[in-house]
Amino acid sequence: MPKPFSSLPDISRRGFLKAGVAGAALAASSRWSLAEAAEPNVLNYLSWPGNADPYLIADFEKAHNVKVKIKEYVGGDQMLAVINQSPPGAFDVVLADAEYMHLLHAADFVEELDPADYPLKDFWPEFQKFPLHWFDGKLYGVMTDFGYLGLSYNTDVFKPEEVSSYAAMWSEKAKGKVGFFDWYLPSMGSISLSNGNRPPFDIDEAHFAAVKEKLFSLKPQASGFYTIADIFSSLTNGRAQLVPGIGEWITLGLRQSGVPVDTIIPAEGGLQWTESLSIVKGTPKRDLARKFIQYTTSPEGQVKMATKVDNKKSIPSIAGWKLLNETMPKEAEILRLELNKPNVMDEYAAKKINFRQLPQQQSIEDWNDVWSEFKSL
Amino acid sequence: MTLVERMRSGLGRRGARTAASPAVLPAMLGVPVGLWQAVFFAAPLGFLVVVTFWTVKSFRLEPDFSLANWERILLSGPFQRALLYTFEISLLSAVLTLLVALPAAYTIAFRLPRWLRDLAVTLLIVPVFSSYMLRIYAWQIVLSPGGIINSVLRFLLDLELNLLGGQISLQVGLLTLTLPVAILILVMAFSGIDRTLIEAAENLGCRRVRVIWHVMLPSIRRAIALAGSTAFLLAFGDYISPLFMTGSKPPTLSILIVDTVKSGSQWPRASVVGVSMLVILALVFLAVAWAGRAGKGGK
Repeated sequence: MPKPFSSLPDISRRGFLKAGVAGAALAASSRWSLAEAAEPNVLNYLSWPGNADPYLIADFEKAHNVKVKIKEYVGGDQMLAVINQSPPGAFDVVLADAEYMHLLHAADFVEELDPADYPLKDFWPEFQKFPLHWFDGKLYGVMTDFGYLGLSYNTDVFKPEEVSSYAAMWSEKAKGKVGFFDWYLPSMGSISLSNGNRPPFDIDEAHFAAVKEKLFSLKPQASGFYTIADIFSSLTNGRAQLVPGIGEWITLGLRQSGVPVDTIIPAEGGLQWTESLSIVKGTPKRDLARKFIQYTTSPEGQVKMATKVDNKKSIPSIAGWKLLNETMPKEAEILRLELNKPNVMDEYAAKKINFRQLPQQQSIEDWNDVWSEFKSL
Repeated sequence: MTLVERMRSGLGRRGARTAASPAVLPAMLGVPVGLWQAVFFAAPLGFLVVVTFWTVKSFRLEPDFSLANWERILLSGPFQRALLYTFEISLLSAVLTLLVALPAAYTIAFRLPRWLRDLAVTLLIVPVFSSYMLRIYAWQIVLSPGGIINSVLRFLLDLELNLLGGQISLQVGLLTLTLPVAILILVMAFSGIDRTLIEAAENLGCRRVRVIWHVMLPSIRRAIALAGSTAFLLAFGDYISPLFMTGSKPPTLSILIVDTVKSGSQWPRASVVGVSMLVILALVFLAVAWAGRAGKGGK
């Protein structure tokens, strides 16, 4: 899951100005509008913020003489709402989190893809047939990037061995210091993992009740419920010293700017978020859409995805890893994307990673209600 | 009399008078305001109420007439708790605002030399036009564990206070919003008091405290009610301070609205919360107006 704020730790006035100017320039040139959606040289892209950064797409635009116009959403619910309310042809490509793929597929919003069109063979074997992107043996989304969610902590306050289990959140030291990312899914997923539920989102009523009880017992430990922007400042100013259900997509950038934070995948396991690209049904620009996905999953596109300024991600393509190690070895080391060395695939090999999925046996609403109640306790 | 009524009576009278009647011009001047109110206030409000009866099917709003949204929200524990909590903090904020604003406005209006008074009023107006969000972020920097106050305390007394996230920080944030407006209202009211009344009271031997208590405060009673209810209104609907000063712990009604929308695009249920908030605010204003009138009758 990307973070949309490009210069958050930099709260200097110049940082603000720079971000503002850049944002305004970007908004003017690449913002999606329905009126221009049908123009042949426009690719309409529904995506998390930041994915129309020129760093990512300038090469594609030049090569195909098109303009990528982005409609940004924050959160899968908003993505589904936008796509539901738009006429066919409004969007050509959609970037979605894996757990929303089955909803896109069930509502018949995305096209079946031909696996031969895409460099899936370049991917790590684990990701060549990623379960959440295939339905009845047919491909509907091509993975572009991923990352892990575990337990993020303040390294001045906690030692790695103290946070090797989610139990650290209930410790005396963590009283009033456990911050929450205000989204039920990863937060409650972590609690479910701490209860030993694997997979964490496919649990029966009894286990769901136990997760609820365990979650509510965390209330005295809670410092607050933070939006994306506030989770950065809370980790920085020490208001939150332990945060479950977030990952290096937050802590890596903070650490690089000097904040003492890190993320660990506790013994009970962590979650994986995964983004993929799909072709929106009804697009008259199927070819262009296909080329965009091919570009993003090519070694060059993958390296850009991994090293994008605002949000560091892991990439599924081994060919992308190779190119990254050749051209930017330092970045490869920081991102833990080094071949034949300890890297992000180790957690996979250790079987510590579970997919982030929507609740399987309860409704989204049931989980959300528990989360709302927890917040208001 | 509401604007619409005023317009209507203006228009009604036109028939009885000639076209050149002095009532025509004010009525015509009032038309744009009435239109503005209708388009940007009455119509959206009506739509907000209508939406509360709609349903959401696979993230899409569908016209319907269902009471399920009302039932679900009004009977839910989180809503009731948020309602009570939001009411409490807004009331506290209104009281704190008046406690700070009254002496401040009195000082500005009566105790400062003219140039200083103008400067003070200017300084009060400026924040109204600056970003509230930015001011709250600034408070975070002041109050946070690694912030300015704690750095000074650590250096001087080796002490650390948990200032951010709690009632203190929340009220500081809300006062940032309410104080400038409340003080401005009261400064204008104090400045508008008939000075001859004050002189008369002083000539009759009243001390300053008695003058304030028996002459000044009664004459600005309405302004006090306005300042208090405005502070309540601002605090009641505020989203920024509860979010960034307490980290939504616990959530207020505004936060509940956002949460409700985030959870499956539930605009109808969020509208129920919104309409409930408007009803409560309307009741508060009616109560204050009624109390003001009752007080006047007693005089």
